[in-house]
Amino acid sequence: MLSQQDAKNLIEKVLSYSKLPGCDVSVNSEESAFIRFANNGITTSGYVLEQSVSISSTTEDGRRGSSGANELTDESLKESVEEAERLAAISRPDPEIVPALGQQKYPELHNYDAFTGSARGDVMIPHVKAIIDCARKNQLISAGFIERSARAVAIGNKAGLFGYHTLTDSSLSNTMRNKGGTSSGWASQTSVSLKDIDGESAGRISSEKCLRGAGAKRKLDPGKYTVILEPSGASDLIGFLGFGFGARQAEQGQSFLSKQGGGTHLGDKLFPEFITLRTDPFNPKLPALPWTGGGGRGGFGGGGGGSLPTDKITWIENGVVKNLSYDRFWASKAGKQPTPGPADLVLDGQDHSLEDLIQSVDRGLLITRLWYIRFLQQRTLQLTGLTRDGVFLVENGKVTDPVTNFRWNESPVRVLQNAKRLTKSARALGSEGGSTIAPAMVVADFNLASVSDAV
Amino acid sequence: MLLANEIFGSPTESSSKPNPKLVKLGAVALAEARKQGASYADIRIGRYRNQISGYRLSPERGSNKTSEVPIVTNRHSFGFGVRVIVNGQWGFAASPIVTAEEIARITREAVIVAKANAALQASPVVLAPTKAYVDRWVSPFEKDPFEVSVDEKLDLIHSAASAIKKDPKVFAANGSLVFRGEDKYFASTEGSSIQQYNIQSAPRLAATAIDRDQGISRTRNYKVEPQSAGWEWIPKANLGENAPRIREEVLEALTAPPVKPGKKDLVLMPSHLWLTIHESIGHSTELDRALGYEANFAGTSFLTTEKMGNFSFGSDLVNIFGDRTNKGGLATVKYDDDGVLTTKFPIIEKGVFKHYQTIRDQAHLIGENESRGCCYADSWSSVPFQRMPNVWLAPGEQNVTPDDLISGVEDGILIEGDGSFSIDQQRYNFQFGGDAFWEIRGGKKRGMVSRVAYQSKTTDFWHACDGIASSSYWQQFGAPNDGKGEPEQINAVSHGCAPSRFRQINVLLTD
Repeated sequence: MLSQQDAKNLIEKVLSYSKLPGCDVSVNSEESAFIRFANNGITTSGYVLEQSVSISSTTEDGRRGSSGANELTDESLKESVEEAERLAAISRPDPEIVPALGQQKYPELHNYDAFTGSARGDVMIPHVKAIIDCARKNQLISAGFIERSARAVAIGNKAGLFGYHTLTDSSLSNTMRNKGGTSSGWASQTSVSLKDIDGESAGRISSEKCLRGAGAKRKLDPGKYTVILEPSGASDLIGFLGFGFGARQAEQGQSFLSKQGGGTHLGDKLFPEFITLRTDPFNPKLPALPWTGGGGRGGFGGGGGGSLPTDKITWIENGVVKNLSYDRFWASKAGKQPTPGPADLVLDGQDHSLEDLIQSVDRGLLITRLWYIRFLQQRTLQLTGLTRDGVFLVENGKVTDPVTNFRWNESPVRVLQNAKRLTKSARALGSEGGSTIAPAMVVADFNLASVSDAV
Repeated sequence: MLLANEIFGSPTESSSKPNPKLVKLGAVALAEARKQGASYADIRIGRYRNQISGYRLSPERGSNKTSEVPIVTNRHSFGFGVRVIVNGQWGFAASPIVTAEEIARITREAVIVAKANAALQASPVVLAPTKAYVDRWVSPFEKDPFEVSVDEKLDLIHSAASAIKKDPKVFAANGSLVFRGEDKYFASTEGSSIQQYNIQSAPRLAATAIDRDQGISRTRNYKVEPQSAGWEWIPKANLGENAPRIREEVLEALTAPPVKPGKKDLVLMPSHLWLTIHESIGHSTELDRALGYEANFAGTSFLTTEKMGNFSFGSDLVNIFGDRTNKGGLATVKYDDDGVLTTKFPIIEKGVFKHYQTIRDQAHLIGENESRGCCYADSWSSVPFQRMPNVWLAPGEQNVTPDDLISGVEDGILIEGDGSFSIDQQRYNFQFGGDAFWEIRGGKKRGMVSRVAYQSKTTDFWHACDGIASSSYWQQFGAPNDGKGEPEQINAVSHGCAPSRFRQINVLLTD
């Protein structure tokens, strides 16, 4: 991985090759190790080094071109700069470009763990072994994935901006299936530190779910049910909710926060009192960056979402919508401070355990995780997806029979509006790649639209 | 880029043999792997190029004036990955530093990985035999899109997007031209040495209309078939001619009445049906899913191995092929990432499930003695594994037209374009939206309807297929980004089909 000095030298070299007035550079250097297993044995695994440089060049009149490459020789860097400048020269002025950011004061984040950054097979294989041993002991079939990554990232530009950060992350997930293929269970863990990963407990949880689900499944009719979403499912839905806070979309009628007829729901109490959703890059469990976006001056257009110092932002406080996100361009038009979009999300929990939640439900369904989540309507955040790897009936505060899987059609907006009770929050791994700090939650009137026979 | 340019050379360079510099670099890995005790090794050296030119036309804040925002991006990625088998176990390592020293070092890392993993081996890796090939292949194209000026690309997209935005009732217009080039060299200890170059081109247009009073937003896409083809594909897309149609259709969609839910007949156009084929047939017939290798992520399959050769998957009109040889297909190559010569094979014949998609280390697990050439890795840094070939539906009998299909429908929906898609982890229960919907009433296509999705079970759906239009209407849509595996990889794949009819499918009204 690149050291801070190496990254600085690299960025300065790129900037020295630039002839146009604007040049934004971002650098990524990464090392990862992973092991995949299935049918109670390791299948594929690897050790991968990656590096890349992204360059965005800007002319005096706001034409931009971007290039990216991963050969870091002087000749290659020079050619990448020339390529970005060639593209800028033949592009058209971007009316939404914003001036380059000068020097910034980025916050110090503590999410690099040296043990994780150097871990290889000898550290990860014992977790895999614990899961496979657990599967064999219970006559089950395990499959799963463990990985760790270490990254060094840096950004810089001609206006004096420079930032450097290192971070690590790790995760373990596993699925247990019985030999008849009639039941499955799943568990996952994720943390900045591999020391927090525990294969034995992940194997125990998934195998218990699989064994509990092995009996005859109750076939319930589709309909609206009270459900207990475990943190993985809650994390997925919160991740999708994050798409809806853009000020531009809200003001222009394209968000769940757009008011019918015009205006936005900023300041409106849309959710119960106990719902508070925040961005918190300082949470040491999250692999956050000290700046927003990937560096540079934004994505489609120069709107300038990137490279701003990250900070705590409250999106929903005690049920009230507190903030919308503004890139630098839209903020300049609206007379607002730039506010980065939702990332590193934390949904505050309550002082309950999962057992408390189960005990609070007279009749409902305990759902292990959600799967294959896709938008039905992006404006309303209406989603469809399925349940997976363990659905159980809860009757009179107790988990009773296993139940078939369901397809559901719901929105995270309604889910938070219908939330009744939360556990404490912890970092969770969603099935669709989203990882947030999320609680398990009891949700009323969750729309289970059709039965899925899949196991 | 310089080394990459040097060793991959000009894409149109004609030679039947790989560049000697690639051969020399590849030999380093193979020699080092042998030295370290590997029973098999291969190396892929790859360069991946991705270029996007596009425009977004949308209103400025608080006014109806249009902001026209261009985007121009060129990205390259270059590196190598080495796979070894040691003590019967796979190992893999990869690096972006393409030098002989680094290749030798990374090969040793791959051996370390394999040796460590051998302690938790379920069964030793067995590779189906393949011939050794020395060859160089380039996907058919007439004009290299990377050589066409970005100026021309921006002009084309701007002109089409402006035609959409011409009506002030249209809120926004987007368009892009995406080009992808994949240079790859493969060498194995079994004697193969193969260089391939594949170009893919994908144009796209979209129009969005909103009704703030009603709180409605609708988008109509003009997705042209993404193809393994060059710049010559772009004029054939007729972006300019289709822009006014998209403009009119998005405005009609905005006021289209909601669908009345219930059981209806569906006439599905190729721009829509490709995705249903992909999700319900493409993924359910992957052998790695059936065998449990994807159990923790993408899922398993309801098509368990005892069903091969005898399971009734759909009506006898349904004939499906796996194919990495068909012209224009996004998954078309001459050799897969196991170095196997690709092929066309039946997956479903007259409604009966016949064959899985396989790779070398799986074939023996179902009693077969050769791979069907479905191995792919999406990057030099990714582990090759079983990915989908082009999976296509054979056209129906001669002279069957889309109008013939529509005329046989009393109460139904015609669907164009893809929309929301979701299917369970064994590929049973699916629910699909679409991009545009028209009511069919009394055998005639009527006005647009909105908020449509249909939900079914894979085998029920394909048994309900009672009409497929002829080869004149066969088109090959697809996607560049099918996800699978851990770490997740993408795959570009096409699914040719002709308009087809499905009886009495459950149609839903979505929110």
